[in-house]
Amino acid sequence: MRRNWNVLLAVAILSVVLLTGCGGDETSSENNSSSKGIGTDQGSTGEAAEKITIAVWNEPNPSEELNMYAQCEKATGIDVEVTVIPESEYSSKLNQMVATGDDSIDIYVIWENDISNFAQVQGIDPMDDYLKDSSIKTDDFIDAVAQLSEGMGGTYGLPWCAATEIMFYNQDMFDAAGVEYPTNDWTYEQYLQAVEKLTVKAPDGTTEVYGSALPNVQTWWAGIGSAGDQVYNPATGQLVIGKGAVSFIDDCKVMVDNGFVPEPSSDTADLFAAGKAAMTWQGSWNIGTYGDELAFNWDIATIPTDEVKYNTLHTGFYSINSQSQNKESAFKVIEYLMGEEGQTINSKASGNPSAIKSIADKGAWKVETAITIDNWDAMTDSLNSGVFGYTCLPSGVTNNAIGAFEAAVLGQLTSEQAVENSSQYAKETIGY
Amino acid sequence: MDNIENVQVEHISKRKRKKYFTAYAFCTPWFIGFVSFTLFPIIFMVYTSLTNRKLNGITHFIGLQNYANMFSSTTFWNSLKVTLFFTGVMMIVTTIWALILAMLLNRKQKLNGIFQFAYFLPSVIPTVALAYAFRTIFGKEAGLLNSIISMIINKNVQINWLYDQQTVYLAVFFITLFTYNTGQMMLIFRSGLNDVPIELYEACDIDGGGFAQKFFNITLPSISPIVLFNAVMGCISALNGSFALLFPLTGESGNPNGMTQVLSLLIYKEAFSNMKVGYACALSVVLFFIASLIGIALFGISKKFVFYEN
Repeated sequence: MRRNWNVLLAVAILSVVLLTGCGGDETSSENNSSSKGIGTDQGSTGEAAEKITIAVWNEPNPSEELNMYAQCEKATGIDVEVTVIPESEYSSKLNQMVATGDDSIDIYVIWENDISNFAQVQGIDPMDDYLKDSSIKTDDFIDAVAQLSEGMGGTYGLPWCAATEIMFYNQDMFDAAGVEYPTNDWTYEQYLQAVEKLTVKAPDGTTEVYGSALPNVQTWWAGIGSAGDQVYNPATGQLVIGKGAVSFIDDCKVMVDNGFVPEPSSDTADLFAAGKAAMTWQGSWNIGTYGDELAFNWDIATIPTDEVKYNTLHTGFYSINSQSQNKESAFKVIEYLMGEEGQTINSKASGNPSAIKSIADKGAWKVETAITIDNWDAMTDSLNSGVFGYTCLPSGVTNNAIGAFEAAVLGQLTSEQAVENSSQYAKETIGY
Repeated sequence: MDNIENVQVEHISKRKRKKYFTAYAFCTPWFIGFVSFTLFPIIFMVYTSLTNRKLNGITHFIGLQNYANMFSSTTFWNSLKVTLFFTGVMMIVTTIWALILAMLLNRKQKLNGIFQFAYFLPSVIPTVALAYAFRTIFGKEAGLLNSIISMIINKNVQINWLYDQQTVYLAVFFITLFTYNTGQMMLIFRSGLNDVPIELYEACDIDGGGFAQKFFNITLPSISPIVLFNAVMGCISALNGSFALLFPLTGESGNPNGMTQVLSLLIYKEAFSNMKVGYACALSVVLFFIASLIGIALFGISKKFVFYEN
């Protein structure tokens, strides 16, 4: 009898534990509502909510003056909670949130390759109604942004910045080698010649200082696009590479074989920052990273022009989660972040120009700590020639392609095979 | 009399029912967990493999199209080839190494405990941390291994361990010697070696047998059930655990040139980088069948080579 009671008690405890774990969150949501004080946003009606959650992949600037979310809170009176999702998982996490109808995030900052998908599945709301009475200058966006928004049947996202790709160079090494500094009119031929002259070899033939770092996951496409390939066809959404890619891969292979450029490897060290490479092609956001930290004088220039001047624009789009319970307030936050004050703070903090031309022209993106830079025109030139290219493709496709390009540089494949394999894989993947 | 017997029978069957109820009641939590976290996901995975589900939730039933696309994809066949190669070699390498370590620890010597600790210590490091540490060690320009070799031979050595087709497998299989699975195998082998009767070795000594004869005629047959167990665990570890090792080392594309792109890496890439969840589930079904077939094959082979006392 006593054993029966013990058994029943054990089963009852286990059942309670299981049910508690599977239980809903009504109690906590009631608590949240009451802590907001004034009341909650009910979607299209109701008063402004006191708290908005925004998902991003970068930590906010630690300085309050340069923290646009903190400044937004002061300006709007709305509590802005930032949820940082690691960059490597950012896109997949957001996709999963949309798939599950998650309402914990009010504002998504969406990448270029996700915005049309999210709009298609109604994971984000169009903002046209909000924009009618808004102060956001949507007719002042850079051309590439305006073109990207076409064909979606509405404005689903507003670009938080317009980052680009540029060339960084070590002025001290150029002086030592007697090579003229690069200009924004530098041709690809001039670049190839400089790479050879700037390389410093040890007596045993190994390279002590490379003329240039190998292109990275972003700037491979700058080289291929500059060589004449379209890279991304917005009409079909396909990867378009051919002779340009073959040519650029072959050039990289020659430079690697001669020791002017390092081989693809598992090393993650930044050879340019370490003073082991005279030039590098990287994202413009590295201006803020380098600042006054480097042990040498450095400046920037546009990526050299081969057949065309080409680089890829990078941005994220502020968008409103269609499941958000606080849409009015979410738009108020976006309105601040897209306004002159929000964009200026973002530019100062990140070194990225605004996608709104009149705000970008004011130059808040010129990083103050980058005291050795004279050629700030490289940024505006790059923005003008920038396009939304590989960033609109699935990352699996672009990473696969870069793996193939690097295999070709190492002689494991021919450049034609690398291009063919990459194109074939892209066709199998895109349009699934 | 009959009434008393009936009452007794009824009392006994009531007790039996209570016993069964008690047993099932205690099994229920495990069963709920099994259904929720194992059975249901497997069924859902098989169903999803018949759709073109994307990560953002869009789903349409497409039948066997994922499988048709898979079997016509060169990426898949390369990945399958790499998976079978990696699984086989990793199983053999880790099993042999674990056995060697166990035999070393089985010798009567001082400080055995410290040796066991030292041999097992790398196994408790999480695989991802281990992989990142070795990625740094195997770096070309700034790698520790190249620096040590350069110091020893007094010449600048820059071997591209993880990007050279000739050295990548050497580097990867070397790292597998330090994984948790190898350490676990070592402990299991050690306990198995302790159970081998000493009298057999003594008899072999009397007959003039050497080390090799003792090993192949006494040790190996005696621990053959454990070898089978560890071989199966090694295969499962290679199939399932290779992702945590290879992703930090060689990336989702299995560089260089797909040489280390096992199926688990391809599944991750298709699901989370290309957002093709349906296709990734189809790949998972294939991986599931491969694991089952390998398990069946190993148990089939075991009938010839495994000796049980009974």
